[in-house]
Amino acid sequence: MIAEGRAAIEAELLAWMREGAWCEDEERFDRLARALFAFQRSSCTTYRRFCETRGRTVENVASWRDIPAVPTGAFKEMRLRCFASERTQMVFRTSGTSGQRRGELHLDTLEIYEASLWRTLQELLFPDLGDSRRPPAIRVLAPSPLEAPESSLSYMLSCLLQRLGSPRSGFDIVQGTVRVDGLIAAIQAAGDNDESLALCGTAFAFVHLLEALEKRGIELHCPEGSRIMETGGFKGRSRELPRAELYALLSARLGVPEHRIVNQYGMTELGSQFYDSVLIDPSGPRRKLGPPWTRVRLIDPESGREVAGDAAGMVVIHDLANTGSVAAIQSADVARRVLSDAGEQLGFELLGREPGAEARGCSIAADSMLARE
Amino acid sequence: MKHRTDEDLARLELAKSRLAVARGALLERSDEELLESLCRVLELWRDPNSRWRRRLLAEHPDRAGFSSQIVRLGLELGLQHWSGQALREMLERELAPQLAGGGRAVSPFPLTSVLLAGSIPMPSLLQCLLPLVLRSPILVRSASRDPVTARLLAGSIAEVDAELGRCIEIVSFRSDNRRCLSSFLAADCVVASGCDDTIGEVSRAIGAGQRFVGYGHKLSVAVVGQGATRGQGLAELVSGLSLDIALWDQLGCLSPLAVFVIDDDASTAVARVGEALCAELALRQRELPRGDIDAASAAAISHERSEAEMRSASGRRVSLHCSERTLFSVICEDDAVWRPAPLHRFVRVHPLANGGELIAALQPLARQLAGVALAGFGDSRSASDSSAVLTQGLVRLGASRVCRPGRLQAPPLAWRRDGLPVVLPLARFSDLEAR
Repeated sequence: MIAEGRAAIEAELLAWMREGAWCEDEERFDRLARALFAFQRSSCTTYRRFCETRGRTVENVASWRDIPAVPTGAFKEMRLRCFASERTQMVFRTSGTSGQRRGELHLDTLEIYEASLWRTLQELLFPDLGDSRRPPAIRVLAPSPLEAPESSLSYMLSCLLQRLGSPRSGFDIVQGTVRVDGLIAAIQAAGDNDESLALCGTAFAFVHLLEALEKRGIELHCPEGSRIMETGGFKGRSRELPRAELYALLSARLGVPEHRIVNQYGMTELGSQFYDSVLIDPSGPRRKLGPPWTRVRLIDPESGREVAGDAAGMVVIHDLANTGSVAAIQSADVARRVLSDAGEQLGFELLGREPGAEARGCSIAADSMLARE
Repeated sequence: MKHRTDEDLARLELAKSRLAVARGALLERSDEELLESLCRVLELWRDPNSRWRRRLLAEHPDRAGFSSQIVRLGLELGLQHWSGQALREMLERELAPQLAGGGRAVSPFPLTSVLLAGSIPMPSLLQCLLPLVLRSPILVRSASRDPVTARLLAGSIAEVDAELGRCIEIVSFRSDNRRCLSSFLAADCVVASGCDDTIGEVSRAIGAGQRFVGYGHKLSVAVVGQGATRGQGLAELVSGLSLDIALWDQLGCLSPLAVFVIDDDASTAVARVGEALCAELALRQRELPRGDIDAASAAAISHERSEAEMRSASGRRVSLHCSERTLFSVICEDDAVWRPAPLHRFVRVHPLANGGELIAALQPLARQLAGVALAGFGDSRSASDSSAVLTQGLVRLGASRVCRPGRLQAPPLAWRRDGLPVVLPLARFSDLEAR
């Protein structure tokens, strides 16, 4: 039975998010995805017209795989929402400098958003933190929501900190600067109290922290059970590091083993996030995993068809947590499937261009250039 | 890995030692003898039947990812006017005024290191030749995408003049090999091409006593007036523009990424230009097939096409004229806002009401602006949009080249890339005052 109306879809989604054990449940995903498509197509005129140009109607979408995906860039150009503007509760915006267009996610409710992020964090970033374990000290290398009210990352980490963090938790970027002394003291205090740490923040902020520690000749030793979650790239920043090098340095300077360093793959335009598998499957290959109310398709950009096996493809995400905007999102990122020896799909691996990789020509993509302005 | 690093460093140091020895003979050469040899090298490269051109044509496309048709035509157009005579005239124009009167002499750098980038052979050929004109031996690191051009140039120099051939050495090492990079960048003069981040990194490694010449990333555009938006003018425009876009698969700094149409009815003119350009790019695809691209580049094109579709769906006057796959894309925009340019034959056409709007639209890109193809202003309705006025505006923005469509990919040898003289930045002078 197809759930009718957004309220019914959200009720079923919330119930799914609150279930004890995660279950992929293809039938449930497909049913909810098509119901959400029908709602969003009828509620968002631009999306409806876009679907019409692709020849997609509610009737001929036989599976969630047929639902047209909106490019992330569209969130910079238009307000993609399925509700009246006066109902807007929160607007998250992508990062960018003044003069640059920024993507926007408009939300009229935070219930689904918070339920999705919390459940996913529990499962993929804190799978070892049962009820009996002491809460970790969460140190955040990102600005607080007070300083960055439009940042979805700040909001997410603030939720995490409030729900899970010990009293020794807090934000360590203030007015754009990493508070190195305070962070060092917090790490040392956690060690003294045998309290595990979760250091969460942007890759760029971690690079700054590493530089500061190197300058002072300091090597810290986070207590056993600690973890690092980093996210975001280096685009337009002054210093780039290949991820393997970043992890080696983080491990050496902070004493957190590389197999407890997790990359988060998220987008402002999405209601859900993806995390490296290392904490829930330490012995398996590192790959990205997401909650069961999301699906990732890898598309051959030339043919528009899904790629086979472990071939590289463009990332298209179907995220049911995006109830108020558009659930199917096309990114410009490229990934490949990670397969088991038996050919089973285990997750996906992003194939981003490594920092410093040589360009083929002396021309420049205008977005790269504008990012530096 | 360490073994390989040490081997690369040893090879680099050996190359530097050989260049130091070769320098002695280079300093003894007469101006005319040296120039004559270099002119002969250029003439060899201009000859489509020379074995060096044929070898480049055979070896370059696979490594660089271009079709052989592109490399053939790109070299033909690019080298058309790079004659020995053009080299002499450029030197006469740049060096003669400096040396007139005999009170000044060129003081050759003991070594010039040239860090190449990208996959287009033309800039590599010139950058590896110029220091020799000034009697400076050259140490070259080829770009990973083009390990062919510099090696073949060195071979051609040795064929023409064995002694001169000993003054150029090609080395290779990984970009993360700090020791090799440090030794390479220790030259008295360093010339580097690459993305702006690379240029910034290299410049930070250069000491105060060293000369550094950096060429960062640039882009080009086309500006079209109403004389080129209809009839024969339009046909000529899209013929030339499609060539500028197709050659080197839009990866060169002289490849136009956007077309600005200035017309009384600019929206309609944009549609006409877009449709005609799409048809012409389809013909070019048959004549000059685009090279293969990786999934990330194709994804960027697909993403930008979808994004344009969304803007169209939102009621904006945006239209797409594209090939079935990602071979070429023309997006007719309804504003002059800069959006991502995925390259590989992806061009946006923008409407503008007048020249003032053009300058405002290009202002954010002024520092990156290289070439501008200008057409259709011969009988401009407005004095403020005449070719001369627009050219003056473009010059003030910092464009280093203004030409007609179809000529962007054929800069003269004397073109002041990035607004710099060709050879003067590589020269060091001694002033000889009378006692």
